[in-house]
Amino acid sequence: MTRQRFIFLSLAPALTVLGLLAAISTAGAVWFSVMNRALRSPDYEYVGFYNYLRLLRDKRFFNALEISLIWELITVTGTLAVAILLAVLVHETVKRPLWRNLICFAFLAPVLLPRVAAAFIWRFLYSPSLGLANWFADLFGIGPIEFLADPSIALVSVAVVDIWQWGLFFTVILVKLLETLPRDPIEAAMLDNARVWEIHAYVTLPMLKGPLISLVLVKAVESLRSFDLIFVMTGGGPGTATETLDLYAYQTGINLGGRVSYASAMSILLLIATTLAFTLIWRAGRKWSR
Amino acid sequence: MANIQCAGIVKSYGAHPVIEGLNLQIPDHEFVVFLGPSGCGKSTMLRMIAGLEEVTAGRITIGGTDVTHLHPGQRGVAMVFQSYALYPHMTVADNITFGLRRAGVAKAEIDRRLADVARMLGLDPLLDRKPKNMSGGQQQRVAMARAMIKTPKVFLFDEPLSNLDAKLREKLRTEIRKMHNTLQTTTIFVTHDQLEAMTIADRIVLMRAGQIEQQGTPDEIFDRPATRFVADFIGSPSMNFRLGRIENGAAVAGSVRIPLPSGRFSVSDGQEVELGLRPSRMGLVAEGTAGAIRGTVVLVENMGAEGQVIAEVDGAEMSFVTRHFRDLSPGDTASFALAPEHLHIFDRATGRSCLI
Repeated sequence: MTRQRFIFLSLAPALTVLGLLAAISTAGAVWFSVMNRALRSPDYEYVGFYNYLRLLRDKRFFNALEISLIWELITVTGTLAVAILLAVLVHETVKRPLWRNLICFAFLAPVLLPRVAAAFIWRFLYSPSLGLANWFADLFGIGPIEFLADPSIALVSVAVVDIWQWGLFFTVILVKLLETLPRDPIEAAMLDNARVWEIHAYVTLPMLKGPLISLVLVKAVESLRSFDLIFVMTGGGPGTATETLDLYAYQTGINLGGRVSYASAMSILLLIATTLAFTLIWRAGRKWSR
Repeated sequence: MANIQCAGIVKSYGAHPVIEGLNLQIPDHEFVVFLGPSGCGKSTMLRMIAGLEEVTAGRITIGGTDVTHLHPGQRGVAMVFQSYALYPHMTVADNITFGLRRAGVAKAEIDRRLADVARMLGLDPLLDRKPKNMSGGQQQRVAMARAMIKTPKVFLFDEPLSNLDAKLREKLRTEIRKMHNTLQTTTIFVTHDQLEAMTIADRIVLMRAGQIEQQGTPDEIFDRPATRFVADFIGSPSMNFRLGRIENGAAVAGSVRIPLPSGRFSVSDGQEVELGLRPSRMGLVAEGTAGAIRGTVVLVENMGAEGQVIAEVDGAEMSFVTRHFRDLSPGDTASFALAPEHLHIFDRATGRSCLI
């Protein structure tokens, strides 16, 4: 068997499944997006790019786009910031391997929770009357805070849950990455009279630039799939304060409007935009990490 | 610049002691080499002086200041690592100036000092390069520049040449020694290579199992080894050892009989000893010369100007070095002798030299 045939045969099953699951549904969505299909009537006809052009005049669509962008920004930077700070803290303060492993184990727990379970736990924590968060707020004489009902903080409140799950998980990864770094450059920096934060800012983290870029990309892709978390916690509300593109598409296409074609057009636009964005980010990241 | 004092240094990992009660004085300007087999504690000792390793007990002072519990960056020491330990993502210039920038030295001053060390070490064309695009020798030069630019009180070298090939090692060794002759900064250099130690040191501190076995100038260590361990460790080819005894003012081991020069050894008749014969102090003699050793040549090793001859004497191998090795081939019978003033005698029980 030639090498090329071997590669082809090895990839074939995975590509077949991918083709059946992804390509057919994507093609279906493209098909729907150029029709005017709605769930309330069985008739539909070809309307060309009408749905796409309507999107450009849809204020709620642009609101969802903005919320999506803000969501990406908050969760990705938040996750990485929390992970870096905690990892450095653990690395510098916890030296015993046993304690370190216990902490890592504890930090892994949140991400092992199903999204929906995490969402419910935090809905209780955020509850204005019963929640632990408001009990603490009360200690400081503030509150009750409507974490999920106040439009100005609802998105951040949901993002905190996402960061709680992924930031702690990435902390574990970073702690392990820091352990793999060679000791010598760190010791050289100590002899160069660098303070602890300087050693990390100028020596260890730059040495981990490659892995950090990968983590950013992984988290950016992951943040796109936060439908379940937001849906359970706020359902996109209050109003449209936490309505990301996937939530809006769901609300239009399935939940209320039943305008399947319009939602499909939105999904296709989302697909194209993210593919483009990630290709550019990936390229830039590769260039930068070199 | 400063002298270094280590008093009663103890280092243990858990219950396992690595260094037990070591005392050492290093005067200002001296170039000291810590020499010893791997695991003897020489690198640990250096790292304790640098502050990278905690001292379990004892005191270290540099230039009169007690630095035992001082942060490495505040001890006024600069270190060059075996792995070079450059910051991989920084350019050569950034690597060299990192310490000065942390100390908040003015930009103009940093530039001036960078230009100085770069010129001294021939790094001018490399300043914008990244370490991974450079050879080992170039990287080690950058590491030296990074140490030099800080104008430290003490230079510490931790096996800096071990990762380089033989030719480059020799070249950099010379450069390090020349640099010391110019700067006169107190220097500690760790190595397991006895030739490197002999060529570069003002004084060698030979360590074994966490203790100082002997310290002295290279000549003292080579010509007057205090113990059998030192005699065995120093010199290439290494010393020949023979079990023997003292009989009528001569050291006798099998067919080997070497008269003792009077007043050189403190030995008594009949004492069980071990004889040490340095191959480089031996040579071919005419057949029948008094005190000559006769052996059958087993192997001749060509070293260029000289050759090492391995001969079988009394059923055991003995080597000596001669310029006339080309006249010998395996199977020949050779007569050779040791100049009696270069004989070494060690007590069999303690391993200590019987030299007075």
